[in-house]
Amino acid sequence: MSNAIITHDLKKTYGKRTVVHDLHLRVPQGCVYGFLGPNGSGKSTTMKMLLSLVRPTAGEVHVLGRPMRRSTRRELLGEIGSLIEAPPAYGHLTGAENMRLVRHLLDLDQGQVQRAVQTVRLQDHLDKRVREYSLGMRQRLGIAMALAREPRVLILDEPTNGLDPAGIEEVRDLLTRLAARGITVMVSSHLLGEIDRTASVLGILAGGRMLFQGTREQLFSRSTPDVLVDTPEPERATTLAGRWNAVRDGDRVRVPGLDHAATAHLVDRLVHERIPVHGVRREEQSLEDVFMDLTGGRGL
Amino acid sequence: MMGAIRAELVKLRRSLSWAVVLFLPLMAVVTGVVNTLVSGQPPGDGWHTLWMRIVVFYGLFPLAAGVAVLASLVWRVEHRGGNWNALMGRVTSSLDIVVAKTTVTAALAAALQAVLVVGVIVAGKLVFDLPGLLPPRYLAVSVVIVVACLPLAALQSGLSMLMRSFAAPVAVALAGATVGTLLLLTRVEAPSLLLPYGLVSRATQVGTGAFADDGSVALPALGVLVAVALALTVALVAGAAVLLDRRDVR
Repeated sequence: MSNAIITHDLKKTYGKRTVVHDLHLRVPQGCVYGFLGPNGSGKSTTMKMLLSLVRPTAGEVHVLGRPMRRSTRRELLGEIGSLIEAPPAYGHLTGAENMRLVRHLLDLDQGQVQRAVQTVRLQDHLDKRVREYSLGMRQRLGIAMALAREPRVLILDEPTNGLDPAGIEEVRDLLTRLAARGITVMVSSHLLGEIDRTASVLGILAGGRMLFQGTREQLFSRSTPDVLVDTPEPERATTLAGRWNAVRDGDRVRVPGLDHAATAHLVDRLVHERIPVHGVRREEQSLEDVFMDLTGGRGL
Repeated sequence: MMGAIRAELVKLRRSLSWAVVLFLPLMAVVTGVVNTLVSGQPPGDGWHTLWMRIVVFYGLFPLAAGVAVLASLVWRVEHRGGNWNALMGRVTSSLDIVVAKTTVTAALAAALQAVLVVGVIVAGKLVFDLPGLLPPRYLAVSVVIVVACLPLAALQSGLSMLMRSFAAPVAVALAGATVGTLLLLTRVEAPSLLLPYGLVSRATQVGTGAFADDGSVALPALGVLVAVALALTVALVAGAAVLLDRRDVR
């Protein structure tokens, strides 16, 4: 799979403060790329550099195989829809008027505008002034404005910020539908749960550095989930498995950091000692847990 | 470029700009009329006197301040929310953005002049019962004033592009108008014409005999004003476009 967005040694420094360190982004074409990190980790600055809204101190950005620079940006921006920080829109105008000015600016036809509006399901609210919109409606209008040009790449900075759970679900669903249409979607968030199930590829940023980049599966394989042994004799089993740092966890035994071979060895020992084993399984691991592992327990 | 201008026209809907376009020239007309009535001296030279009393003062400060407010209003919406990021994240070139913003500011400045002319005619007929209509020479002068507003619109648009503050560019305009007036008062004409504030004041004085004006409406002199205005506009628009293109978003 080729990459829609690539950066090489991307760096941004403000005065003496480096906010983005030597970033090597790889955003595969047609995926939803979840760009995760706490507030102030450099996500917005990175996204601004991808759009050449901010010039990098060092390094390069390539979008759809072409270098993104000040001299090339206007041409490339025709392929990219974006929503950075707050949603755009002119509050004194109605939703329809906002879409009309986008149509004039980008020389689009009415059909393109209508499709974008229908994609975000805003067609019934177009006659209202945007200043009367809820935040969720403004976010959706912002996404419609970004979608109207039918971009191949969509860069959305915290599009679920400030939305209620229903609004978040709606944006998630929208991103999945867009990716199914072949659009590469890069979406940032400081909340893991918001992109957890939507993103197929993740980039995790902290302090301007990439902690991890890859698929969800790769991320999960980074850390080994605990082995849980169900047994009617947890006390004996815990003592027996003491050399693997086992701990008793209610009616079962929890053994951390056990690879496949060690797990087989443990089961063999339990059976050998005639300790009844009702079940052996790996603990269900959430992305949150993996995250905690990755960030040394600090979370994001 | 036409698309960018059409988009700017959409943004003017329900804009406060129209209130400025209506009230600023009417204030100038009312002030001129009230001063004339209070002084007890009717406009002795008919339309000429009325024009001078209303338009010359209007051209010293209110016009510059008005264009500055209009430019600030035109740019204010872009400094809000995510609009700046969206503006710079689209295909529309920096030059097209600057030209579109300057065009709508200049168009609003032209509307100011149109309201002013209508105001002078209404005051002349209804209040002072002047014979005939406003002489055509003042319509020609009005066209020159509109052209002289182009560099002012370009400069104020550029300042409002660079400054998030609404009031700061207006303050710059008032300071600039003061300098322009001082230059005209001291009859330092060449530098005053190169300053957009001085140029626009000078244009409002054409044919009145005020300050450095000789009272005539001669084509060569008007030609110089128009040529300087157009050259300044091109330079200011090009400069603003380069600045916008180089600038990073916040």
